[in-house]
Amino acid sequence: MGLKKEEKYIYKYEACWSDGNNPLLCLNTGDWRTSRPVINNEICNGCGICMTFCPPQCISIKDDYFLINLGFCKGCGICAKECPKKAITMTQEGDYADDCKI
Amino acid sequence: MAEKLNKLPKVTEYFCDEDQFSPGNACCPGCIMELNLRLVSKIMGKDSILLGTPGCSAPTIHGQNDRAWHKHSYYACVMTGVASSATGLARYYKKAGIDATIVCHTGDGCAQDIGIQTISGAAERNENIIYICYDNEGYMNTGVQRSSATPYGAATSTTPVGLKSIGKTTNSKNMPMIMAMHDIPYVATATLSHLEDYAKKLTKAKEMVKQGFVYLHVFCPCTVGWKVKPDSSITVCRAAVQSNYFPLWEVGNGAYRITQPVAKPKPINEMLKLIGKFNHLKDQEISVLQQQSDNRFSILQALCSIRA
Repeated sequence: MGLKKEEKYIYKYEACWSDGNNPLLCLNTGDWRTSRPVINNEICNGCGICMTFCPPQCISIKDDYFLINLGFCKGCGICAKECPKKAITMTQEGDYADDCKI
Repeated sequence: MAEKLNKLPKVTEYFCDEDQFSPGNACCPGCIMELNLRLVSKIMGKDSILLGTPGCSAPTIHGQNDRAWHKHSYYACVMTGVASSATGLARYYKKAGIDATIVCHTGDGCAQDIGIQTISGAAERNENIIYICYDNEGYMNTGVQRSSATPYGAATSTTPVGLKSIGKTTNSKNMPMIMAMHDIPYVATATLSHLEDYAKKLTKAKEMVKQGFVYLHVFCPCTVGWKVKPDSSITVCRAAVQSNYFPLWEVGNGAYRITQPVAKPKPINEMLKLIGKFNHLKDQEISVLQQQSDNRFSILQALCSIRA
């Protein structure tokens, strides 16, 4: 799951002790993930609890649905555990191995 | 879409700025200290000045080489002098006529062990500082050593469990109560399972800091040190509140108030069985913990009834 260049540097900003030429530090924390959260949009009632509890705050609203930014999701599973409707399931990252072409 | 937006949790109404932290940072998966940092950043606003020490938050709020993980102004202090460094900053900004919120963000090791004398001093001088202590009950960054916030019976690397040892043999400090006894304008306890309650307290802290010292004590389970599954840290927070092990209360100008009263407190065992560091405890030790937790809660209840 490599990041696009522009996605990685959306936070370009002057750090308080830098000369302002460098972007913010940012890790591809999506690489740490062993299980991937998948939202079932038919069960989801849009309460937004997953969005507020997500530690990296990587769940955003996209049109009618919640979208997980898999570039930064660390796969902790808090969203799946806290979802009152159990609309999020954690699936093994190995199942998606074919999608990931290195 | 409009329907969905209306139903978003109320905590989102307290956000006044965007997240100032970079999206991929160095916190462990499932660490809710990261959620705490982002919440502080969103509610305190981008102009707040963070102070931090070596600790669990350091990999994220310190910079590395010449680059940073966030857009806040940040001052890295020694562990003994956070509150005194913050005093200097607060006084400078006051003299310069700049409206700035000074937020110290340290762990329990700094707040309760190493830096307690400077905190106590700053509280007595009533400096305009917000002090946020994330309480993960030990020195988690250096390898899970015990601190004075570690509760009775907890297994850590310096209080191991063996044939004759049961983990830590003494009880933890009641730090929020120690700070409340300084008679400072605002003290509150909060945790990440009750986000709206926490957001209210942060907003109130931002107002009360104009009157003087503000102390917030945040219960933050550590997934590695407590042997908790990464997805369970919020569950542990909720269980701690529901068993009155960590009651949520606030004291503003002498009036004590429990902000999240629990109608039927659960036995403390319900929380302990979620946490790996308490797995070895037998009924006798659990009853000691229950007794200590009940004692603290009865003191709190007494204070609430007196000043109400």
